[in-house]
Order: sequence, then C-alpha cells, then structure tokens
Amino acid sequence: MPFHRILAWISSIFGKRKRFSLGLYGNVNVGKSTLANRISRDWTGEEMSKISEVPHETRTVVRKERVIVKVKDRELDMNLLDMPGIATKVDYREFVQYGLSQDEAQQRAKEATKGIVEAIKWLEHVEAALVVMDSAHDPYTQVNLTILGNLEARGIPVVIVANKIDLKKSRVDRIKEAFPQHSVVGLSAKTGENMKKLYEAIAAKV
Amino acid sequence: MKRLQPRFEVSVLCGMSVKIEFVSQRVLSKKGEEDKLNFILNSVKKDKILVLEEPLSGEEEAKLIEKTMGAVSKDFPGIEVCTLGKVANDVRGVVIKILGGRSSGLTVVGPSNLVKQIKRDPHKLQLLAGK
Repeated sequence: MPFHRILAWISSIFGKRKRFSLGLYGNVNVGKSTLANRISRDWTGEEMSKISEVPHETRTVVRKERVIVKVKDRELDMNLLDMPGIATKVDYREFVQYGLSQDEAQQRAKEATKGIVEAIKWLEHVEAALVVMDSAHDPYTQVNLTILGNLEARGIPVVIVANKIDLKKSRVDRIKEAFPQHSVVGLSAKTGENMKKLYEAIAAKV
Repeated sequence: MKRLQPRFEVSVLCGMSVKIEFVSQRVLSKKGEEDKLNFILNSVKKDKILVLEEPLSGEEEAKLIEKTMGAVSKDFPGIEVCTLGKVANDVRGVVIKILGGRSSGLTVVGPSNLVKQIKRDPHKLQLLAGK
C-alpha cells in the first residue's frame, strides 16, 4: 500500500481532515479550466480560471485554496490547481489563425512554453490529480501517457476525467479501454452532468 | 511463444527527403540522462527524425518536453514524440539490463514542423513526414 494511502487511512481513523492539492492535468483544450470552474463554483460559488477557444489560455498555474467538497459523510479539503495544458510543441502561427497579431501570438507562445514547464514541475508536488481528456478524441496521445506515467511513478492517486460527454462524438469506452488500470469518470464540465460521480471517485482515491 | 516486436512505418509526402537516424541502445546507454536528452534535442533541431532502440521513460519524456519548451522559437515550434513499450524500472527490468538484455519498445522523436503525425496502435507506429 503506498505511503500516502496509509496516511489517508490513519487520518480517516482519527477523524482528521487533511488538506491536499488536486492538480488538473491534460492536453491543451480538453476542458481543464471549465472543469476547475465547475468544481470551484459548485463549492465556493466563484469561478477560478479564464476560458477561451484560443489554445493555451491558461499559461500559469491557477490556484483556488480551501475548496471543501462534501461527499456523503466526508469532507474533502483541497487546494485546486488548474494547470496549463501540456504540449510537445507551441507554434505561434496557430494563435495568428485565431486573430492575434504577430507580436501578441509570439508573446502568447513564449508564455505558453513557460506554463508547460511549470505544469511539469508541479507533477512532483501535487498530492492527487485529475487527468482530463476530451472524450471525443483519441485518448492514446503521448502527452496523456507521459502525464500518467509520471503520476504513476510517484504513486500519486489519479482519476481520469473523460470530459465533453455532451458531444455527439464522445466515446468514454475508448478511454476506459486505453487505461483500464485507472478510474475513469465520464462527465460534462460544461453542463455539470455526472459531477457527483467525480466527487465520489476523488473521495475513493484520497 | 512468439513475441511481437514493435513495428515502425514511415510515410513521406512526395517531393522531399527526410533524414532518419536509428540510435542503438548501446549508444544511448553510454550517455547520462542530461547528455541523452541534449543529444536528442540537438539532433531533432537539425531536422533529423530519431528512432531510439531503447524507449524513453516517462520521467525522461517529461524532461525532454521541458527542454524542448526552453528551445522553442519562431523556426523551431517543438517536437513530436511517441513511445511504444516502456523501460521496466522494476527489479526484473534492472536484472535484464545488468545481464545485457534489452527492453522491448522504441521511441520516435522528430521536429514538429517536419513530422506531421504519429499514429500508434499497441504494436505499430506510423509516422507521416512532410513540410
């Protein structure tokens, strides 16, 4: 049994509520910030992240401290961390296609690369993670595998979020097949469908 | 029992040449992690596609992404990378290495402005290259 699980078990016996950091990881534009906002709004009444169609809108780690989630008879006290999307490439020309000027696009690309490095460094510090995937796309990407591989190597509890189940092309089964060793929750951060299942899955892991 | 070996296929858009370098496990194992990642990134920045006989570990991939982000510029937007199979870091994996055995799998890495797409299934990597 990993050390963090033993600690969680001991603290549950003595009724202590331990605060933990929950990082939202994933590729770019899979809905991490929409999900962070949904969780934050559900339990604090406030949003935490800015959302945009332009990739790499989140370019620094956005934190929301002391988000207390009630699941049955338990309270999960967490610091929520909305991570920049991880990518292996950042091409400023892509931002130009969204209407940004050359200078703005280059500045955004520069900030995005720093954000990716920051998100990777945080892999060593989060105590639990949601790996968010777009259920309408192939989940078997190198970024997903790299994120999961690093979290697994550190023994960090993981829940995979199969987001965007409101889309017609959504295929949660494909994600479950690709990562059978993990808990997978299909949900829509946009509509709020199945959020309760997510909170239960987090509670089961920490 | 016959063991399935990973297969690697390359499709190149017509009218262009692509430089593919196969890097043996022996060459890689002589390098420390930092040297190995610098070697990969420097080669990729020279428009080479590398096929590594020894797959990168998850930690090495994360560090390679970090290094790549530090090197992104107008002319070099980043990399495409894909790994089939993994280095086993458990006791079995260490024993295999000590005995001179090799882990099954490979990593393909190339510049993203040249490698358009890498498709994978559990035993096959397909790479589409073109400008």
